[in-house]
Amino acid sequence: MWWRSASFILDRQQEQNTSFPPNPESLLLSSPPPSMADSLQNPKPDISAYYQTRAAHHAVVTSDWLAQAQAAVSLQTNDDVSSGSDGRVALTGGGTGVDNKTFSVIDEFNSWRKQPDLAEAVAAIRALAAVIRASQATTMMELEIELKKASDSLKAWDATSISLTAGCDLFMRYVTRTSALEYEDFNSARYRLIERAEKFGEISYKARRIIAMLSQDFIFDGCTILVHGFSRVVLEVLKTAAQNKKHFRVFCTEGRPDRTGLRLSNELAKLDVPVKLLIDSAVAYTMDEVDMVLVGADGVVESGGIINMMGTYQIALVSHSMNKPVYVAAESYKFARLYPLDQKDMGPALRTIDFGVPIPSKVEVEKSARDYTPPQYLTLLFTDLGVLTPSVVSDELIQLYL
Amino acid sequence: MPDTQALVNDFLNKLKKRKIEGSQATAKQTAELLRSVISQTRMPYTNQAAALIHSVKAVGERLIAANPVGCMHVMAELAVGNVVRRVLHIIREEDLSLTTAAMAGLNLSAESDDEDDTDRDNHPALSAAAIAAASRSTLRPPSLQTLLEDVPDSAAVPHTSSSGGDSEGKSKSADKSSRSRKLKHDVIEAVNELIQDISTCHELIAEQAVEHIHQNEVILTLGSSRTVLEFLCAAKEKKRSFRVFVAEGAPRYQGHLLAKELVTRGLQTTLITDSAVFAMISRVNMVIVGAHAVMANGGVIAPVGLNMVALAAQKHAVPFVVLAGSHKLCPLYPHHPEVLLNELRSPSELLDFGEFSDCLDFGSGIGAPLLHVVNPTFDYVPPKLVSLFITDTGGHNPSYMYRLIADYYSADDLVLERRTTSGN
Repeated sequence: MWWRSASFILDRQQEQNTSFPPNPESLLLSSPPPSMADSLQNPKPDISAYYQTRAAHHAVVTSDWLAQAQAAVSLQTNDDVSSGSDGRVALTGGGTGVDNKTFSVIDEFNSWRKQPDLAEAVAAIRALAAVIRASQATTMMELEIELKKASDSLKAWDATSISLTAGCDLFMRYVTRTSALEYEDFNSARYRLIERAEKFGEISYKARRIIAMLSQDFIFDGCTILVHGFSRVVLEVLKTAAQNKKHFRVFCTEGRPDRTGLRLSNELAKLDVPVKLLIDSAVAYTMDEVDMVLVGADGVVESGGIINMMGTYQIALVSHSMNKPVYVAAESYKFARLYPLDQKDMGPALRTIDFGVPIPSKVEVEKSARDYTPPQYLTLLFTDLGVLTPSVVSDELIQLYL
Repeated sequence: MPDTQALVNDFLNKLKKRKIEGSQATAKQTAELLRSVISQTRMPYTNQAAALIHSVKAVGERLIAANPVGCMHVMAELAVGNVVRRVLHIIREEDLSLTTAAMAGLNLSAESDDEDDTDRDNHPALSAAAIAAASRSTLRPPSLQTLLEDVPDSAAVPHTSSSGGDSEGKSKSADKSSRSRKLKHDVIEAVNELIQDISTCHELIAEQAVEHIHQNEVILTLGSSRTVLEFLCAAKEKKRSFRVFVAEGAPRYQGHLLAKELVTRGLQTTLITDSAVFAMISRVNMVIVGAHAVMANGGVIAPVGLNMVALAAQKHAVPFVVLAGSHKLCPLYPHHPEVLLNELRSPSELLDFGEFSDCLDFGSGIGAPLLHVVNPTFDYVPPKLVSLFITDTGGHNPSYMYRLIADYYSADDLVLERRTTSGN
């Protein structure tokens, strides 16, 4: 236990000592300088906006859920107003400001994000395109700086969303590194950037199609597939398999607390695919009937592991111990430059959990919305770059950011 | 092209009658056949690369379809498919380097793209993976870098751009015809290099032997593989003294031949039965075996019995080293390798028919014999059991195989048969 180790205890004592006396000098050293990022923080930093949106899009509508959702909507609008006033960035060009209209990337992003069929990274890139459109920069350099600021504030606004960060990084890299932009004049370069950003929605859709096509060879007649939660890519894969007249059945986990698995089972029932619903804790019980596990991913990290909805790690462990393959379907724009070493290594992405009964305040609740599945428990990743082993992911990322 | 047809038929006959044994010989002869196909293909003024690709693909499909194995899906002689894909990749690569060299600085990647687009138009057969491949750009493997860039451009307007290519071709026909001769010449040159590589892969692999075999070590192998024989002898020639355990490799007992060969070369050899592998493995320092094919995930299709050896080696933490020439790298993923990539041979290798003919009598009782004989040729060894691959380009980890494959094959060629889609 590392927190019982001598060095850790010593460190902690020292920490307490230094923080206890309000020594002005140490205060100056330890407290970070007040920065822009602070003012741009999500007003409710303890709740992950990303997972809130996911829940809103994919959870199952029941009557009590509807009531909750209505409450959340009113909350959300409050959020937007407050975040808008907080996160408003003046993006008018320095001295030339003709109209002093302020423009907020975060508002823009949130409005895109509300569309349920739009991937998070697409929303991010659309929001950055809106920044370019609203910008009055006259040189590439200026534009780059504005974009950088905007993408930083977006990233800071919701640090729990990996697709958002990855999408921003991908677009920023395109802006700064593409050789095609170098030889054009500023206006056409700007036009080109906006056009590429608008096309990204299409790219994202096409990526999903490619993944569905590539994974068809892996779904054989008579197989049983275990899926966890709701993922657009996974649904696309299963839909394509059903269209190709494959005979297979699907086990859906319930996906507490959003119950996104119910949503997936509804969609599959519409396609006439045999579905069985499991409670999340029945995974090990049913694993001997399962031929493969297929999950989506919120993010694919540099080690080749994935970050996904809570419970994925558990399922991967069970299927590993029972020698079942675990396949991940994920678009390549979800590849992120992160290298988590264990579960607690990433910032927590918390969410509210409804237990149906009041929980005494003394009882602590584990509210994390996601977990990290290390690469050794994954068999293959289906991405639009091809079918990859986990070790390929880091190769791709290194090539991109070299 | 009557000559090539005759050649192809001849080669097919040999394949069907199993006159060509071993993946190296098959690979080499396939490459030679494709070379003569290329040299006899008549080159049009435009789209030379497409014409070449078309004729090579046509021959390749026939070769693969006529595979000796009963299952239509995957070929047992994977080497044929591998070589066809390698040659296709060579054509694409030479074409790209020519176009870029000929008109350096102009926008040429677009042209090579449209040539492949028209090629795709000729084949509307569109299997699943082919669509996937078609929606990505041509030679560059798809990557995160190009994600935002060209994809929609090349896919959106193939027709207009290809007609543009035609008119350009007419205006520059003189230039083009010299280019076409150059292309063919370059491709044949590169195929010659490939043939050279295939025939010298043993030596290249054997050169690395001294790095892996140390003094007084005990090496275990199963069955017989020419690569392994050369590898061991190369270490012996460099004055390493070591012992070799040879498992006999039932039911073909090729281990006997290997043991004999090793003894004539002056190596300390011990012959054991296959079932003694587990008993002996604790004394072994390294397992060195040959492979039939290496799949894209790093799994190995190998002579039957090797999965057992690999498991024994894992149990005792003995390194399991696989020797494979680069023509054995296959860009496919194994789906049901035990069934689809296998070949069931004659029961006569197991039993003497005279003695057991009563048991195999179809006339008795229920109309089917009570005794069945299953004689599979290959085992699938999953990648996690392999410690190291030694290829002609050096030693590699199983998880690195994809990178070699990306170097040797282009994504468009992964699916060669078209009928499989309708079959599935």
